[in-house]
Amino acid sequence: MTRTHSFCKRLMGTVLWGMILSILILTMIGAELAQAQPEDPPSPQGPAPPITHTLVGRSNCLICHATGFGDAAANPPDHVDYTNDVCEDCHEAAPGTTPPSPWSDLAPDALPQRIEHPPTEGKNSCVDCHLVLGETHTEISEQWQESVHGQSDVGCVECHGGDARTDEMNLSMDPASGFIGVPTRADIPHVCGSCHADVEEMRQYNLPTDQYVKYIESVHGVRLQTFKDVNVAVCTDCHGTHDVKKASDPTAAVYPLNVPELCASCHADPEYMASYNIPIDQFDIYKTSVHGRALLEDQDVRAPSCASCHGSHAAQPPDSEEVVNVCGKCHTATEAYYKESRHSRIGENAPKCWTCHGTHDVIKPDESMFLHEEPTEQECTTCHVDENTFRMDKARFANPEDRRCDTCHHENSMIMVQVQAILDALIAADASYTLAEETIQEAATRGMIVSDAENQLAQARTSLISARAAVHTTKLPMISQLTEDAIASAQEAYSIAHNRLRENEMRRLAMIIAVVVILINMLAFYALKRELYSQLD
Amino acid sequence: MSEQSLQQKPGLFMRAYDWLDERYQVRQLVNALLHVYIPRNAKTYYLGGVTMFLFIVQVITGSLLVLYYQPTPDTAYDSVLRITSTVYFGWLIRSIHAWGANFMIIFCMLHMLRVFIQGAYKPPREVTWNAGVILLLMTLAFGFTGYLLPWDQRAYWATVVGSESAGAIPVVGEQLLLFLRGGVDVTSATLTRFFGLHTIFLPVGLALLLGFHLVLIHQQGLANPDRPSTDIDDREFRKKSKTLPFFPHYAVSELIAWYAIIGLLIVLASIFPMGLEEEANPLETPPHIKPEWYFLALYQLLKLVPRTLGIIAPLLAVLALFFLPYLDRNKAIAPRKRRFAMSMMIATLAGLIIFTIWGWLS
Ligand code: HEM
Repeated sequence: MTRTHSFCKRLMGTVLWGMILSILILTMIGAELAQAQPEDPPSPQGPAPPITHTLVGRSNCLICHATGFGDAAANPPDHVDYTNDVCEDCHEAAPGTTPPSPWSDLAPDALPQRIEHPPTEGKNSCVDCHLVLGETHTEISEQWQESVHGQSDVGCVECHGGDARTDEMNLSMDPASGFIGVPTRADIPHVCGSCHADVEEMRQYNLPTDQYVKYIESVHGVRLQTFKDVNVAVCTDCHGTHDVKKASDPTAAVYPLNVPELCASCHADPEYMASYNIPIDQFDIYKTSVHGRALLEDQDVRAPSCASCHGSHAAQPPDSEEVVNVCGKCHTATEAYYKESRHSRIGENAPKCWTCHGTHDVIKPDESMFLHEEPTEQECTTCHVDENTFRMDKARFANPEDRRCDTCHHENSMIMVQVQAILDALIAADASYTLAEETIQEAATRGMIVSDAENQLAQARTSLISARAAVHTTKLPMISQLTEDAIASAQEAYSIAHNRLRENEMRRLAMIIAVVVILINMLAFYALKRELYSQLD
Repeated sequence: MSEQSLQQKPGLFMRAYDWLDERYQVRQLVNALLHVYIPRNAKTYYLGGVTMFLFIVQVITGSLLVLYYQPTPDTAYDSVLRITSTVYFGWLIRSIHAWGANFMIIFCMLHMLRVFIQGAYKPPREVTWNAGVILLLMTLAFGFTGYLLPWDQRAYWATVVGSESAGAIPVVGEQLLLFLRGGVDVTSATLTRFFGLHTIFLPVGLALLLGFHLVLIHQQGLANPDRPSTDIDDREFRKKSKTLPFFPHYAVSELIAWYAIIGLLIVLASIFPMGLEEEANPLETPPHIKPEWYFLALYQLLKLVPRTLGIIAPLLAVLALFFLPYLDRNKAIAPRKRRFAMSMMIATLAGLIIFTIWGWLS
């Protein structure tokens, strides 16, 4: 009996424990399932506390709240799977925390004012926290430390506002302390300009201060200001944000050698440029031009990049006067010659540099640039509107093979006689030069000293280069004077080199005679030797 | 006229010789110098004699060059340019001197190789060998000092890197560098110093040492390549073996070799005359600086191994070369019986050639 009783007791105990265990296991599975469904509304354990701080400049709640960084409240355990985008579903932001842009009522011709913020007193609490926050925060903090700004103690608050003295986040990032968070693209020029357009501020760094005004007036700036087009280049697109480098730093995107690639990063992108209806092949064309090769292949920083002609801050569209007349900035002598020419006095419809040389596709000029291979045919009206007015149809010069004198000048015209004479003079000078050069080369390979001939040749070269440049004057007497100088020097060089070659031939002749005499002597001694040896025992 | 009467009436040369002999007994001296006998199986390939001839050529052409050459940085280049382009046959003299310098080094080395292979350095000819090693070093010094004199870019920068390697010698390196350059840099002090070494010290020194070298050879006669002569008193053997009169038999063959060499020099000088690069510019280092070919192996070695090692190893090698006759105890002469010596030689030659080509190409 007692045995039966105790058996029943044990059975019930087992069943009870089994039930308790099963419930426990089921609850755990349930909890597991519940956790796998994050869309579930947060557990309604009372109302969600409102957000007590401003949201300006703060889009990543979890970066602080996941762990309770600093004095931020740590996420409760049941929040572990929430992402940043659901926080505001329950937690209400305090009203009125997003201040308007500090430059919202900046007058169109005024310079942007500095962001007002409490004095830093040599502190930068922003970096102290952000450096250890991980992810992009650490990255941008480190970038800033390496940047020109970091190196010259231009701190976070100069661009973002706020109070750098306190590590109490709600105070340091308080809009009342001028905190603006991440500046909008539209505000970027103002942020940068607030210091960089300030003459007093920039004096210590010996930097120019006109970039802001130039930018505002540039195509980029006008589109940004007037059309509110935030896709145009703003300061940070070229100079970087936290990692701003000096333009003289070869790793900077704005270093002269890197500029074409920088511009091309937008201007050669078909999608990005789709809505602007402007060509996107300039970079590819430029790469093969004399300018592009000199800059990109020979790394010659004197060669022009996009910015040299179009401006950088003052970027101008291709047809503007500044861009068209920019060649003379470097080619001063040629420009002076051009100004002497009849071409330069025709006025608006005059042939300009680009008419003959092109723009992005400038190649090394030579004598083939004078005439078409086949004679051309023009109507009077191709160029003349009436007796005194010309027309300039740009499309006629689009193809490099059509940038020729006879694109405009009629085959039987008086001017054409002169063109032909200029061409003949140049060809003759070039031929003399080449002949002298080859003769010198040959004398040199035969081991003759030709430095004097080379000096003469260098003179011929100078005259020939001047003659080619003087073509821009279109004045035959001037050009032929120079080609005659070139021919005279080249002939002098040739005759020196030619004499050296003759001397070399003499030497070889003399050498042969000497060798023959030596051989005869050797033979005689050899005969003597044989006789002597035959007398030996 | 019959042969008889020709012999009876001596020529002008013989009459002058007699005249001198009556007064100074030169005949006795000349006979002692010329009428020696050499083993008929001795094969010199005329290499030593050709080296000596080249030295004579260098002395003659060098003396002519020095008439126009001016050893200052301002004038050196122009004077060489003048020698090469305006002075009558200046180009020929200069080119022969330059080619002759290279030839002298080549023939000196070949001569040494011949002596080595035939075991002619073994007792009793140790000192002859020692003098020879110093002759070789002096010949190389001739090349090094002469290379700077044209004062063009190649000359200047080869000297800069060359003297720099000397600075890597431990302990004395810095002093040696200062001594070589006559200051910290290659300047006018270096130029006058090299000029003095090249035209006074080295020629006089080499001439004296060469005289010594030849006196030693004269005293012992040439080695017999078929028989070790450790027993110095081998006169018996010498009497038995076949010999050849040095004069005129050997001398006439030597003369033919000299003719061949001067012919070759004239041909090379005419077809490949010496040029001149840009004038030396201490501020502008040219892209490819290379020393003369005979220093290329050393130069390449210095590029590959630590500097001290690159200097110490060749120094030790030269010392070993100098003391070779005392280090090599093998009495055998035939190369077959000198396996170790021959393999060392081939290894050294291969190393030198490989490093030279390597240095040339890099
Ligand atoms: C400027 C350089 C030198 C000159 C002008 C020179 C000249 C001569 C001449 C004319 C001979 C006579 C036999 C022959 O023509 O081969 C000779 C023999 C000899 N030389 Fe030189 N020599 C020079 C450098 C050297 C060098 C670098 C060595 C070795 C390190 C050397 C070691 C000897 C020896 C051992 C003999 C005796 C050879 C025998 O008896 O067969 N010489 N030298």
